[in-house]
Amino acid sequence: MFNAEKPSLDELPSSKQLIRSTVIAGAAAVAILVTVVLPAEYNIDPTGIGEALGLAEMGAIKSQLAEEAEADRQMGLDEQSSLLDSVLGLFVGTAYAQEAAPAEGGEAWRDETTFTLKPGDSAEWKMVMEAGQTAEYQMLVEGGRVNFDLHGHGGGNSVTYEKGRGSTGAEGEVTADFDGEHGWFWRNRDSADVTVKVQVRGEYAEFKDAS
Amino acid sequence: MSVAQAAAHNVTEGDAGYIQEIWGVNIIPFTYLGAKHMVTGYDHILFLLGVVFFLYKMRDVGIYVSLFALGHSTTMLLGVWFGWGVNAYIVDAIIGLSVVYKALDNLGAYQRWFGFQPNTKAATLIFGFFHGTGLATKILDYDIASDGLLANLLAFNVGVELGQLMALAVILIVMGFWRKSPNFFAQAYTANVVMMTLGFILMGYQLTGLFVAA
Repeated sequence: MFNAEKPSLDELPSSKQLIRSTVIAGAAAVAILVTVVLPAEYNIDPTGIGEALGLAEMGAIKSQLAEEAEADRQMGLDEQSSLLDSVLGLFVGTAYAQEAAPAEGGEAWRDETTFTLKPGDSAEWKMVMEAGQTAEYQMLVEGGRVNFDLHGHGGGNSVTYEKGRGSTGAEGEVTADFDGEHGWFWRNRDSADVTVKVQVRGEYAEFKDAS
Repeated sequence: MSVAQAAAHNVTEGDAGYIQEIWGVNIIPFTYLGAKHMVTGYDHILFLLGVVFFLYKMRDVGIYVSLFALGHSTTMLLGVWFGWGVNAYIVDAIIGLSVVYKALDNLGAYQRWFGFQPNTKAATLIFGFFHGTGLATKILDYDIASDGLLANLLAFNVGVELGQLMALAVILIVMGFWRKSPNFFAQAYTANVVMMTLGFILMGYQLTGLFVAA
């Protein structure tokens, strides 16, 4: 009836052996849970072993992403965010980029900004553009590497143009898919302070700090 | 971080989100993710359960599990390295089929229906290839940075094997208790029918996804 031979009893493990194995498995599970799983999933690390293994960082990043995604959902994205921006804007003046120094032997950059991010910190700068407009950019990173997300949003639309990980710099151009704010979100996932310098020129109304 | 910023970019959450934030060689985190993937991958666990269901000798368990590991390691590494763009729904449906196949094999259906026994070792290896392809497809979705890819991939693979051993340990302990009961052979039939049902459900779930997503 089966594709198997009936084993004789002496081929089976003894009860004592099975119970001992169960106890060992349970103890191993508790140890792994406390030193590995909880740090990696929730950044809960009572022993400090998770930190040493680099798993607490995983838990910290996951928790942070979950909070941000939750904040996104609470916001319902764009519409309210621009409303909030205008409300917040009453209290917080937006920083604008300084006029860029003329480039040597080339077309001058129109605007530039430089900022320093501590490990774990983020920043966001945006160009206000209309659909079809194109702007050129150059990004220089010093002191480490940075993650960035080049995206746009406005009028209920959102788009990701490019994502970069561990970037030491980039250059190129961005063409707006729709009317709105198009630019970068940066985060320093490196272990030291990172300085980012961004220069832009082309078709946009303004280049501003959206952090 | 201002309110506006939170709503500024499309956040990827969970393991994929974490992987998309890091670069370079991260051996232990990737080993952990590989193990997690296997331990929480019910389709792989079901097949593994089917494979060892009637294996009593540790030597046989070792041989079959090694064949399965060889199969899925090969296609997982090759699949990610060469970026095989295989349709995840089809691969996962085949993985569901592997569970059905193994349950029928355990029930002796092939001997009864066709009068012969397909090579069980070959079947374990071949379905191992499909399970690895499924793993590769999911890893490709993670979008691992090219910086440190090979080392991270090997670490992930080591993690998958560790996870498999952990799952196997639990399966063998449970089976050990169960086999001692006088009703084991009576219940084994039902258990394999239930396993087959789960395999069919997995197939239906994935094939539906194929048409819904298409």
